[in-house]
Amino acid sequence: MSHLTDEQLEEVIRGGPLKAGLEHLEHCAECKGRLAEKEALAGRLRSAFATIKPGEGLTERIRQQLNVGPRPLEHAHTIGFFNIRSHRREWSAIAAAAAVLIIGIPLIFYLGKPSSAAAAQAALVKIHENNLSVKHEFYSENDPEKLAEYFKGKLGFSPSMPRPGRGLALRGCCVAHFRGEIVGSYVVDTPEGVMSIVVVTDQPESLGMGGKFERGDWIFWKSYFAKCEMVTVRLGDYSYCAVGEISHKYLTELLVRLLPESQP
Amino acid sequence: MADKNEFETIAIPYLDSVFREAVALCQDRKKAEDLAQATFLKAFERFESFEKGSNCKAWLLTILRNKWVDQLRHKNVVGEVLAIEEEMIAEPQRNGETGWSDCQDLLESFSDEQVIHALKELPYEQRLSLFLIDVEQLSQKDVAEIMDVAVGTVKSRTSRARAILKKTLLSYAKDMGFIRGER
Ligand SMILES: [Zn+2]
Repeated sequence: MSHLTDEQLEEVIRGGPLKAGLEHLEHCAECKGRLAEKEALAGRLRSAFATIKPGEGLTERIRQQLNVGPRPLEHAHTIGFFNIRSHRREWSAIAAAAAVLIIGIPLIFYLGKPSSAAAAQAALVKIHENNLSVKHEFYSENDPEKLAEYFKGKLGFSPSMPRPGRGLALRGCCVAHFRGEIVGSYVVDTPEGVMSIVVVTDQPESLGMGGKFERGDWIFWKSYFAKCEMVTVRLGDYSYCAVGEISHKYLTELLVRLLPESQP
Repeated sequence: MADKNEFETIAIPYLDSVFREAVALCQDRKKAEDLAQATFLKAFERFESFEKGSNCKAWLLTILRNKWVDQLRHKNVVGEVLAIEEEMIAEPQRNGETGWSDCQDLLESFSDEQVIHALKELPYEQRLSLFLIDVEQLSQKDVAEIMDVAVGTVKSRTSRARAILKKTLLSYAKDMGFIRGER
């Protein structure tokens, strides 16, 4: 007797016409178990999204726009030089929300992590959030050469930066305190969202980065904290930590662009 | 010009579904709201071509999906993003399938945010198939139309997506100490 395939079980979940399958299920505990598991996953996914609702103002904004016709919506995500003044309110709101998340979520989410690792990751996320906040000192500049000069003056070296273009633009940089040291970070606008690269001397393992994986000849470490994904690669004497609300796959892709062609 | 009141009566009730799909696709809430808003504007422009009495929710979700893909194309990254996703997500191994005996309990121990986070780790085509089938409970035929693929493709994507989602949640459970080591 052959068991039902995953696709046949999907058919059963959908209430599809699978008479033979239903008969098999009556007698096969294994397939019954697999079906129950798939149904439980489907149910949990549904219940997770049940709490997702748009902000109160969205219906009203849509109604108003139907009256006045279309206006460009994508301006907020334009790649290129970032005009912080025109986005002050948006970013304040995001920063406020981020502050709530930083305080609220990590406690629940990361009980399993050793506290120094969790603290390091919280600090990396905090640097990223500060980079997006208007309240923090930030050197707004999209020319990589000027950013390199700035870092040279503040840190004594200039970290590797991605070449702008193909949807990538540098937004600016700042220096911050991390584990008692002064470290540099810069912000990159990408088609997937905004990310910070934080450059630290600590080894990736000491930052609590758990998931180690290889890409080409290089080793990467990934982790996530609060809403942020993180991917780290070791380049020279520094760990480059990419942080943002961006998939780790994309963060990795960005880091790959920092790496020299030669072997590590 | 389409009738604004009629559009509001027919389409706005699906705002929650449209927003949920946007959340499943976008990286952050702000972008999801922008995408949902752009979807309704586009739908209003095309409302005269909407067949009254047909499935308005599926129609809106199709517009949203196309709008999202357009945005990626416009930024000239769609091939790249999708290629990365396909390359980096490993095929789940059927014979390595683990049974989680206390499946229901384990699933309940994740926060909603973690479950959504795990879904977002899937390549977008699998993610959207599973989302539309499980969360929006659309038929495979509707999902095939939304995603512009054959019904068979929807079946295989959904099945594969569910296997990867399970694997991802299991790895979260291990990271968080809900379960121990290899099972
Ligand atoms: Zn069986």
